[in-house]
Amino acid sequence: MSETSIALALEAAEARLRSILQTVPDAMVIIDEQGRIESLSTTAERLFGYEADEACGRNVSLLMPSPYREQHDAYIGRYLETGERRIIGIGRIVVGQRKDGTTFPMHLTVGELRTGDRHHFTGFIRDLTDQQITEDRLKELQSEVTHMSRFTALGEMASTLAHEINQPLTAISNYLKGSRRLLERMEGENVEMLRDAVAKAADQALRAGQIIRRLREFVARGESERRIESLPKLIEDASTLALVGAREHGILVTFRLDPAADLVLADRIQIQQVLVNLMRNAIEVMSEGGAVRRLDIATSAGPDEQVEVTVADTGAGLAPEVAKQLFQPFVTTKRKGMGLGLSICRTIVEAHGGKIWVDSPPGGGTIFHFTLRAAADDRETDDA
Amino acid sequence: MSKAPDVILLVDDDAAVRNALKFSLEMEGFSVRLYPTPEDLLAEHDLPTAGCLVIDYRMPEIDGLELVERLRRRGVTLPVLLISGRVTRSLRDRAFGLGITDVLEKPLSDLAGSIRRVLDDGP
Ligand SMILES: Nc1ncnc2c1ncn2[C@@H]1O[C@H](COP(=O)(O)OP(=O)(O)OP(=O)(O)O)[C@@H](O)[C@H]1O
Ligand SMILES: [Mg+2]
Repeated sequence: MSETSIALALEAAEARLRSILQTVPDAMVIIDEQGRIESLSTTAERLFGYEADEACGRNVSLLMPSPYREQHDAYIGRYLETGERRIIGIGRIVVGQRKDGTTFPMHLTVGELRTGDRHHFTGFIRDLTDQQITEDRLKELQSEVTHMSRFTALGEMASTLAHEINQPLTAISNYLKGSRRLLERMEGENVEMLRDAVAKAADQALRAGQIIRRLREFVARGESERRIESLPKLIEDASTLALVGAREHGILVTFRLDPAADLVLADRIQIQQVLVNLMRNAIEVMSEGGAVRRLDIATSAGPDEQVEVTVADTGAGLAPEVAKQLFQPFVTTKRKGMGLGLSICRTIVEAHGGKIWVDSPPGGGTIFHFTLRAAADDRETDDA
Repeated sequence: MSKAPDVILLVDDDAAVRNALKFSLEMEGFSVRLYPTPEDLLAEHDLPTAGCLVIDYRMPEIDGLELVERLRRRGVTLPVLLISGRVTRSLRDRAFGLGITDVLEKPLSDLAGSIRRVLDDGP
């Protein structure tokens, strides 16, 4: 082929690529092996809020929040070096970041393209907040967590009920017990009958206690299953669920994940419930108003094999009437709230041997903290 | 020298529970002092040297475990029975970690029996 015909062929190829990029309904981003953006489809421009011109030539980590941002070059490097596929051809749900700093869950599939000895990667992106959520994994996550949260809510109600009823039952059976002792020392024609009646009443109080206990055992059947889990992954999955709809409220989400807080001993679905409840509360309070709307999720490795997770918001702060009994069930300031979210969080965190507490920073907003036990770093091989 | 009489110090935020337990324990021959909140017990200057503490776990401001932690820090070594509407394994583990003698689930049909066992194996 002559040089001009090569140039013509190239030009034609480029024109074709441009028209594809303008018309593909999916958001599509092409990068080179250094991670530099080569082109952006029109839908991708709209999705991320960048013009192709201003994004091209910059590192694709521009389109993702921390900690992915810092890790992305290493991902590409590792793939080129080892050929180990974590995302290429597989597809997964990740978090994207728009030009205005807001983040959103998205489904990303990456394809690879080779020209000569150079690699290019094409990312196909579906914004999960924009469209009907059809993604299997998201659905699966959602059904697991909502099914379990219904179950947990039921358990929480049963256990509250058990606790509340146990109080008067304790009083009843102890008054009866004392009365029985007193009657042993008394004499008279009706005392015998009275003794008998008191003993029978005490039996019935115990029976009521048994019923309560059985009810509680029934709902406690879904005993927790603790495994070694990746904390960043738990947070990623939970935020995927919790952040659906966060965009409409203009909430900026940041993640600050300590690499040293990695593996934890946890029941995956339960801890996701804790995270989702805390993030939902934060989103709910911030969508009420406020100029700055920022949700910050952070982890840190603490002493004594503990890791700490914090969920901080810039909302209106805690209402004084709930602040003291925040973690008790049925405490709510919301019209449609059940007031179960935080009491479930407490039950789950304490069952994991951790603690949960709240801070009201002087600058406003609310910070929830909870701890989990770190797991030793000898995980059996997991999926990549 | 004769031993100081055994006194039961009972902390529970529920008045009916408190009064009923006092009634049944007194009928069993114990001397009982009641404290509606952990703060009331912490404010007590004249703690007996013999006897036993009966502490409810779930209380609004300071929970039973935290109360025991604070008492231990002050050098109070009286044996403790923790009582709760719900006893889970993790509660038991944490309680034993603090040196609590036993954890009993309400409705407590034989608190006096448990107390006697504690006092009998006493130091
Ligand atoms: N991040 C927060 N900022 C301000 N107030 C909060 C925050 N999180 C919780 N609260 C307050 O605590 C109350 C209890 O929260 P909880 O999650 O237990 O119940 P809920 O959100 O009201 O209802 P549910 O979670 O059952 O739908 C809330 O009603 C709210 O008043
Ligand atoms: Mg809630």
